[in-house]
Amino acid sequence: MRHLIQVAARETRLGFRNPWAYSFMALFALFMLGLLLINAQGYVQGYSGTTGTLLNLSVYLLPLMALLLGSFSLATEKEEGSWELLSVYPLSTASFIVGKYGGLALVLIVIVSVGFGLSGLIGSLAGASFGFQTYVQLLVFSVSVSLLYLAVAMLVGTIAKNRWQALTIGVSIWFFTVIGWAPILLAALGFLPYPLIKPVLSVLTLLNPAELARLFTVVKLGGGSIMGPEYYEWMLWVKRPTGTIAYIAAVTVWIGAAVGASQLIWERRRSRG
Amino acid sequence: MKVAASLAVMLIALLCSNAGILNSVEAAKQNETDSDLQARIDQAKAGDIITLASGEYEGPLTISKPLTLEAEPGAEVTIANKSEQPAVTVASHDVTLTGFRINDAAMKEQPSILINRSQSFRLANLEIETGSYGIRMADSNQGEIRNTLIEWAGERADAPVKLSEKGNGIDLYQSHDNVLEGNTIIAMHDGIYMENSDRNTVAANRFERLRYGVHCMYTVGTVIRDNAGEYNITGAMIMAVREVEVSSNRFAKQNENVNSQGILLFDAESSVIRDNVTEGNRVGLYVEQSARNTITGNRVIGNYIGLQLLKAEDNQITDNLFVGNVVQAEAKQSVRNELSANYWDAFQGIDTDGDGGSDIRYAISPFFQSVVKAKPAFQLFFQAPSFQFLEQLFQSDKEAWTKDAEPLMAPSGATAVQAAGEDHGLSMAVSIMLLCAAVAILIKTGVKK
Repeated sequence: MRHLIQVAARETRLGFRNPWAYSFMALFALFMLGLLLINAQGYVQGYSGTTGTLLNLSVYLLPLMALLLGSFSLATEKEEGSWELLSVYPLSTASFIVGKYGGLALVLIVIVSVGFGLSGLIGSLAGASFGFQTYVQLLVFSVSVSLLYLAVAMLVGTIAKNRWQALTIGVSIWFFTVIGWAPILLAALGFLPYPLIKPVLSVLTLLNPAELARLFTVVKLGGGSIMGPEYYEWMLWVKRPTGTIAYIAAVTVWIGAAVGASQLIWERRRSRG
Repeated sequence: MKVAASLAVMLIALLCSNAGILNSVEAAKQNETDSDLQARIDQAKAGDIITLASGEYEGPLTISKPLTLEAEPGAEVTIANKSEQPAVTVASHDVTLTGFRINDAAMKEQPSILINRSQSFRLANLEIETGSYGIRMADSNQGEIRNTLIEWAGERADAPVKLSEKGNGIDLYQSHDNVLEGNTIIAMHDGIYMENSDRNTVAANRFERLRYGVHCMYTVGTVIRDNAGEYNITGAMIMAVREVEVSSNRFAKQNENVNSQGILLFDAESSVIRDNVTEGNRVGLYVEQSARNTITGNRVIGNYIGLQLLKAEDNQITDNLFVGNVVQAEAKQSVRNELSANYWDAFQGIDTDGDGGSDIRYAISPFFQSVVKAKPAFQLFFQAPSFQFLEQLFQSDKEAWTKDAEPLMAPSGATAVQAAGEDHGLSMAVSIMLLCAAVAILIKTGVKK
């Protein structure tokens, strides 16, 4: 545990010395603020044009940010040889991976907090204030989507041999889950017999962290009815507290599985030298 | 005076004669006042005014001659009905009912007030608690229902009552030229349902937690004005109508159901939809298979979909305001509609000649509707970033899209969304806390010592 905390603290320190963290922070804060002020209709509440836009901005930006920061951090350890040094110490792989995850998670949460803090404060002063539930819901969304993609990033950083590979894999995952998702699924699922489309799409949605978090947020903001009669029962269920519990469980399983997998792969490579 | 005196004598006589027979004097009084009321009605002459003192009277009552039944000023009058019959049946012209409460919570076929083949009736200031229809009008014309509260009161021991088991608040069948004004209708099936009924005026009513606030089926010349609705499935359901006016209504927060709309037009022709506000609904204005309507001056704010056109033709849609909707418009298979001078907040126009209208047109993509029409399961992609990306790629056959010829560059009038409900001060406090915490962590870990 002590090792884990040390690794996490080191990771956070390194994270905030990384100019990337600050450029992402500035980018996120600027976009949040810009979109909020462009769309300013006096208040931001429920599922509306403004929240929809902010939500989609976060879906574009945060996964990419988490994927790059996370996978680079692990790939750098290999490239610069600091892992070779660390591995001679009695430091477990689990402490190392989980510690890195924890440290980076804090970096991402700070970035998101600055973005939300600034836009919330300046928005209020400029007459575009957030409703409290909406604000918290969007914040929860941004934090959870960052943490989900950070877990994926750990896996990417583990598999990649260097930063270049990490970039390639990371951007591919980002493109597939954020941009290519609907086009690819529309094309692929179109071949399935109709009764299969809904169950297959539902399962695939659970496997795409961006869609999982986005849909949960839309439903919690009250927009579940827009998904149509096919999903109505689901939407009602998600809107109740059971939905929140299920979402927390899903996010935990996701992060646990991805971080666990990277720990296993890392451990295998370590023991085989 | 003579009538009143003789009635009083009769009453005392009846009371005295029955008091010994019944065990409870209370129950006796109870019984006598109501049999008395029907008797009073039966004995009254056409045109009489029957004034009710405070107390509970038992239904059912039938009024088959023109007369007025009214509560004494300041009196608390309740007509309680436990029978399967309507609490009050009006079967004559020129009947007036005012100022009392009807307690009729039993779930049954018959309405609480039945107005059958009546003319020029007048209902005002009633409070109706019903387990059936509130007021049902059949073949009744030139009547008025004003300032009446109709609320669902039916209960069932084993299960909650389904929406489909409830009756309508005010139900018109083949009834023309009536005025329904200032009523409040809560938690019924439809608020005001009009079938084969023409030229009725529905004004300044409130509709809450209903299926549809106002529902027109096969009506001509209906006027729906100044009404307000919240938390219904749909505010105004305008179906199979001609020459209907829907103006200055406000329908908000109808977004819970997958079929929720602010105002829906289906098979509506030559109607005017003017100066309404639809805010925070699933779909603000929904127009399907409707033609030659004028839709103008409406403020469509903060809905999931602002305007939805499906197979709508030859409509004139001008000078409306679309602000803060998640999707401002969707249109499919809709041709020859004239859209012009609407304000779309998510559209960036160019105005080189400075006339306030954009020189480039706003074309409404049919892509999402086409996809989900073929395969509704894909509705899960609503506003997914990946779907928006794909939508932008599909620009084929753009000439056939519905277009606003000259969208406004700036909104006319206020655009601020009015409804509030969430705490705004609190989110400002939280944002300050977030900033402080983030800065503290940055300083503690990031700044080189």
